[in-house]
Amino acid sequence: MISFSRSSFIAIAALILLALVPAAGLSQTAPSGLKVFLSGPEASAYAADLGFVVIVQNREEADMIVEINPAPGAGPIELLFLGQGKFQGKKDSLKYQPAPGEKPEDVRKGVSRLVQLGLLRFAAETPAAARIDVVLQDQVKPTAVNDPWNFWVFSLSANGFLMGDDVYKNQEWFFSASANRVTPDWKIQMSGSYVLNHNSYDYEGFVYESESRSKSATGLIARSLGEHWSIGAVVSASSSTYNNQKLYFTLKPAIEYDVFKYSESTKKQLCFLYYAGPETYHYAEETIFDKRRETLWKQALTVALDLIRPWGTMSVSLSGSHYFHDVTKNRLELYAKLSWRIFKGLNFDIYGGGARIRDQFALPKGGASYEEVLLRRKQLATGYSYYFSVGLSYTFGSVLSNIVNPRLSSGGGTSISISM
Amino acid sequence: MPRSFHWLIFILAWGAAAVPAARAQATETDLDALKKAAPKIYLDCGSCDLEYTKNEIPFVNYVRDRKEAEVHILVTSQSTASGGVEYTLTFMGQNGFAGIDDSFRYFSKKDDTDDDIRKGLVRALKQGLAAYVARTPIASRLQVRYRPEEKPADVRDRWDHWVFDIGTDGYFNGEESNSQANFGFNFSANRITEEWKLRLGLDASFAEDSFTYEGEKIKSTQESYSGSGLLVKSLGPHWSAGLSLEADASTYNNYRFRLVPALAVEYDVFPYAESTRRKFVFVYRLGYENVRYREITIYDKLRESLLSQSLSASLSLKEKWGSISFSVNGSHYFHDIKMNDLGVSAVLQLNLVKGLNAYLIGSGSRIHNQLALVKGSASLEEILLQRRQLATSYSYFAMVGLSYTFGSVYTNVVNPRFAKLGGGGGVSIHIE
Repeated sequence: MISFSRSSFIAIAALILLALVPAAGLSQTAPSGLKVFLSGPEASAYAADLGFVVIVQNREEADMIVEINPAPGAGPIELLFLGQGKFQGKKDSLKYQPAPGEKPEDVRKGVSRLVQLGLLRFAAETPAAARIDVVLQDQVKPTAVNDPWNFWVFSLSANGFLMGDDVYKNQEWFFSASANRVTPDWKIQMSGSYVLNHNSYDYEGFVYESESRSKSATGLIARSLGEHWSIGAVVSASSSTYNNQKLYFTLKPAIEYDVFKYSESTKKQLCFLYYAGPETYHYAEETIFDKRRETLWKQALTVALDLIRPWGTMSVSLSGSHYFHDVTKNRLELYAKLSWRIFKGLNFDIYGGGARIRDQFALPKGGASYEEVLLRRKQLATGYSYYFSVGLSYTFGSVLSNIVNPRLSSGGGTSISISM
Repeated sequence: MPRSFHWLIFILAWGAAAVPAARAQATETDLDALKKAAPKIYLDCGSCDLEYTKNEIPFVNYVRDRKEAEVHILVTSQSTASGGVEYTLTFMGQNGFAGIDDSFRYFSKKDDTDDDIRKGLVRALKQGLAAYVARTPIASRLQVRYRPEEKPADVRDRWDHWVFDIGTDGYFNGEESNSQANFGFNFSANRITEEWKLRLGLDASFAEDSFTYEGEKIKSTQESYSGSGLLVKSLGPHWSAGLSLEADASTYNNYRFRLVPALAVEYDVFPYAESTRRKFVFVYRLGYENVRYREITIYDKLRESLLSQSLSASLSLKEKWGSISFSVNGSHYFHDIKMNDLGVSAVLQLNLVKGLNAYLIGSGSRIHNQLALVKGSASLEEILLQRRQLATSYSYFAMVGLSYTFGSVYTNVVNPRFAKLGGGGGVSIHIE
């Protein structure tokens, strides 16, 4: 066990005491509203629409001066935004071009809209900014663009990961290509990848090397049928030394139903997904069932709930599958993730998954070596598997402080996320 | 009934239906034209929920390559004193909008949920985009809504900048023949102002792996404890000075107990205020290490006290064309100058040519200061599971990647169908 020496606690206590000395309070003054002076004929008429700024009557008091000329009529109207005081140097200009025959009250509305939009960038750091929203009054099609490629996107990539020291070396190479076309009505995604992993240990004459390779190609086509239904198919071919598969091929038609509307998917989604189809296996080594190749039909049902709400996020999915030739060859999988702000300051995070496994056809007869077991190089016989992670954190104190102090922050540095 | 009469009814019905349909068609065509002329934006943001953003801000066009865009929005982040995040949104106008540049900040709190953060970022994006959208015809269909204040927020701080955090986490996995369990506890108390920074932290972590092989059960464990304190004084826009105290114990490192008081000075070539985009710091550190080992080391020591110094230089830049971070670090012990190490690390992400993205992440070090190595050999399990530090004179790691994307530049569409089935996708890399 670990024993802490008394001197360490004294040292830590000394540091705490030292820290209490410089309690120099730094007062943060909250910025008040943006003060705006409107200038020009009929300019004061726009004041009523500008709730998020403070309209002042003297030019000198203002942070921003807005000049609107001339009065609404047939010609174009110029808007000039000029900063002064602490907004010195900030400026902008916008122009409103009335449509032929546009009624004066519509012109006035249009100009008012531009005054509001134009002032937003200057009002952004005031407390009122948090209560401003900009919305489009209509529904527009995301596909209303001039696209010579008709929404096809192609991508090629190569990635390598290398590490090593005197004892341990690891290399991983990942290559992929993809072609996708995603519109609201159709989704076509195709990709292929090749992964090569090599690692070796060399410790006092004990040398161990291992290599794993996997190849895969998948395609998905989906057709949207209204706000709740989709049909499609997935086709995939792969090989993997981990899974004892020289070749695996499958083609599965699928159907999906979202209880909520798909257009609400970034907030809530409850999907039922069903697919059925054949799976063809060519094994690298003879299996425990004395098979070198086989074709089996399978069906699967998945229920998945995804919520992103003000209190947190939640994902739960339950899926079950079985083979038709023998219903006892089945698998049940549960996955759940919850990130919940229980109350102010207290956050709870959990994710995990478990599986009941009754469908391991591909286990090689020869088993795995001791090193393969330790390094998780081969799939092993198991009736279940699980993983979960939990975390709880509570924060209190000056939780509204927005001070950024980047000094002597060890590490900090770089975060890299790679999704494939 | 005569056949012609049927036809007549049909034509009448069709005619009646056609009039409003034609009108709706016209406005839809107008809207399509407005959308086509809307600003093209490139959102360079790793922490944004892109699908949500596209649903909430439909009045711009999203493109996947920065060179196609009229507005490049770079979002960088840094942590705040309270454990939240400061997001800086830098708007850079280009092509038709050259010269219109802006910068906005949005602050999230430590306990904010994903939904709070994405709402905040969308609000900041809308405010920044207003100036560009106001110059395109789609502005005519926008509405600015303002919800007046209900009650003024209480900004008084009775905690005097102190922020406390208590946390615990665990990770477990297993199947019939093997299982793994990790758990940890941490506590921190921080007081951060512009002038002073004080961080105090305690950590403990435990790990246990077990395997069954040919009927035999093998168990392997690892534990570590640490406590740390850091006090930093700001000395103007470029200089800082600080002292730190670290205490730790670890089975991996063979430390029964280690205590390291240290002094440090830092100089940032850029003002610290620009740190979200640019930083070039030099740090000098002088430390006094007191160690008691768990097992006798290869140098026949069970305890020792050593003075060491280190110098590091690191540069990080985040620009339109990508990001660069580069650092060099060297240290040695005073009792024997040959006991030293030298490390370099680099992160490079570049988008110089349309469609082509490249990244390189690498680090390497020359190690001649492994004073804590245990005398005697490690077991096979200890090696394969990386349970114990082994003698080495160098270590490196590198990641390289190249991707080329061509085809449609627009990424406006959000289509969530069959998300669970997977399929294509390709690779996306984000470094910040």
